[in-house]
Amino acid sequence: MAILIGYLATLGVYFCIYNIFAIGLNIQFGYAGILDFTVITFMAIGAYMAGVGSLGPAQPGTEIYYILGLSLPWPLALILGAVSAGVLGYLIGLIALRRLRSDYLAIVTLAAGSIIYGLVGNNTKIFDGYEGLVGVPQPFNGVLNLSPNTYDLVFMIFAAVIMLLLWVLANRLYKSPLGRAMRATREDLDVAEAFGKNTYRIRMMAMVIGAVFVGIGGVLTIWFITALAPAGWGTSETFVVWAALIVGGMGNNKGAVIGSFLVAVLFNEATRFLPSINGLPSLIPEIRNICIGALVILTLRFRPQGVFPERKAKFFELPLTGRGREREHEVVVTGAEE
Amino acid sequence: MEQMKPILSVAQLEKSFGGVQAVRGAEFEVLEGSITALIGPNGAGKSTVVNLIAGALRPDAGQVHFRGVDITGYKPHQVAGHGLIRTFQISREYPAMTVLENLMVSPLGQTGEHLFSALFRRGHYKSEEREFVEKAIAILDEFGLYGMRNEYARNLSGGQKRLLELARAVMADPKMLILDEPMAGINPALISRIGEHMLRLKEDNGYTFLMVEHNLDVVERVCDHVVVLAVGRTLAQGTMSELRQDAEVVSAYLTGGSVGAGTKG
Ligand SMILES: Nc1ncnc2c1ncn2[C@@H]1O[C@H](COP(=O)(O)OP(=O)(O)O)[C@@H](O)[C@H]1O
Ligand SMILES: [Mg+2]
Repeated sequence: MAILIGYLATLGVYFCIYNIFAIGLNIQFGYAGILDFTVITFMAIGAYMAGVGSLGPAQPGTEIYYILGLSLPWPLALILGAVSAGVLGYLIGLIALRRLRSDYLAIVTLAAGSIIYGLVGNNTKIFDGYEGLVGVPQPFNGVLNLSPNTYDLVFMIFAAVIMLLLWVLANRLYKSPLGRAMRATREDLDVAEAFGKNTYRIRMMAMVIGAVFVGIGGVLTIWFITALAPAGWGTSETFVVWAALIVGGMGNNKGAVIGSFLVAVLFNEATRFLPSINGLPSLIPEIRNICIGALVILTLRFRPQGVFPERKAKFFELPLTGRGREREHEVVVTGAEE
Repeated sequence: MEQMKPILSVAQLEKSFGGVQAVRGAEFEVLEGSITALIGPNGAGKSTVVNLIAGALRPDAGQVHFRGVDITGYKPHQVAGHGLIRTFQISREYPAMTVLENLMVSPLGQTGEHLFSALFRRGHYKSEEREFVEKAIAILDEFGLYGMRNEYARNLSGGQKRLLELARAVMADPKMLILDEPMAGINPALISRIGEHMLRLKEDNGYTFLMVEHNLDVVERVCDHVVVLAVGRTLAQGTMSELRQDAEVVSAYLTGGSVGAGTKG
């Protein structure tokens, strides 16, 4: 029973984390049309920085090296991770958002991701290279003294609260005039610019906010598994987040929820726990990737707008007075069409 | 009727694309409160001049002054911020946003475009937002698009998209509008409607217009002043009837029956 609860709590945590990733990507791509092909790098930077923020200083002689080691309390480590991801988003945005073409953006983000991956992996002095960080302290664990399964449940609630907060902020952003301006840049950058929107600034905001969200997801990740190495954030992980957003529906945060559940939890995480077949250790992960790929293709073929498509904006309107003239106009317009 | 003060002046503009000299010293003024036409054969550089004025392209040489300010080299959003809004030759709406939302994007400097207000102080922009909705509804009503307000803009017909472009520009409260062929590809009934809208906006709101247009009938009916562009230079300026007397203009542009028959476009 305790094991089952622990298992479900683990899935619950992954759901919350992937949901945060998907909402972050939704702000970048669904709101502002930014093709971010390195989502997972923001997760990694958030995670690593919170990791070296939470860990104590690296001990000489242990052959384990990392920067900082500040033994921060968890709220400060969370902020450090989130801010670091945001700064990285800003730096990538400086290069990627200068040009208008979206393929350029995709290439820059992909390249930046590869560079950072190589840098972090090969340089053992930053986050201990390909070995990665281990033994990252978990929030409240020292205080509460819980059994592992109960702790997972507590952590799930913690992750859910953060997810809800981010969800509320993302929806507020979407409905605000700023979110509307982001969508206008997504729809037509030149027109939004011609209408007085500083499109570079607006897209930069989407880039940074999205990166901060994904970075917070990363902080939760490293706290939950207490370790992170480059093998855990390869390019295929970016693909999982994209798949979640595409299947769920872009531009609608409800889509991010259902997409994270279907793709990230059901296909990606739940299958990790299936018993592996003797002699074929990579069979299950490969089947998983095939299933996620197939789900994306089926979605694009049969429901390209995703499970929950973007909704039409609703405005509070007072009834219009003097409708007679209006109807006359409509007759002229519609009557004039060929 | 015509005020004599120029609101926009363009001096010695030059722009090349690789080997193509698209604009070679174009020079003209637009008087405040006028509707000025920019005409010329295809490839004369009209759209390029519009892009240079609006900041979408940087000139190789020359200046653009708008309301007494040198706006040469401004970014497009800065030009718009000074009250100069342009439309594109092909109508470009925000396709996956509703007609009403297309208008709601337009107002400049919205309170709710600040990140802090957007996330934490929604009360700050609520009343402003209400005002914008009301204004947008009134404008849509004027343009006969009220019934379409909750339709996605991509679902409008070609003519309705042209109206939406104009309505969206009006929502931005500009001092001046530059329209690049606002009547291309639409039927005669709608052409005269758009012309009427322009005259109304000029009279009631004091707008100034610069309009690239091929249809000389429309130019004659709507415009106070005409600038003729040929191979990137200003060939002539004046009223339509003055230009008809100008042999050079007639040979450069007003040939091929367009003067007499007036059905070009
Ligand atoms: N972005 C561009 N790149 C290269 N050549 C261009 C570009 N834009 C316009 N041109 C060229 O500049 C000249 C003027 O074009 P344009 O301003 O569109 O003329 P018009 O609007 O008067 O028809 C044409 O020869 C056109 O081919
Ligand atoms: Mg043109």
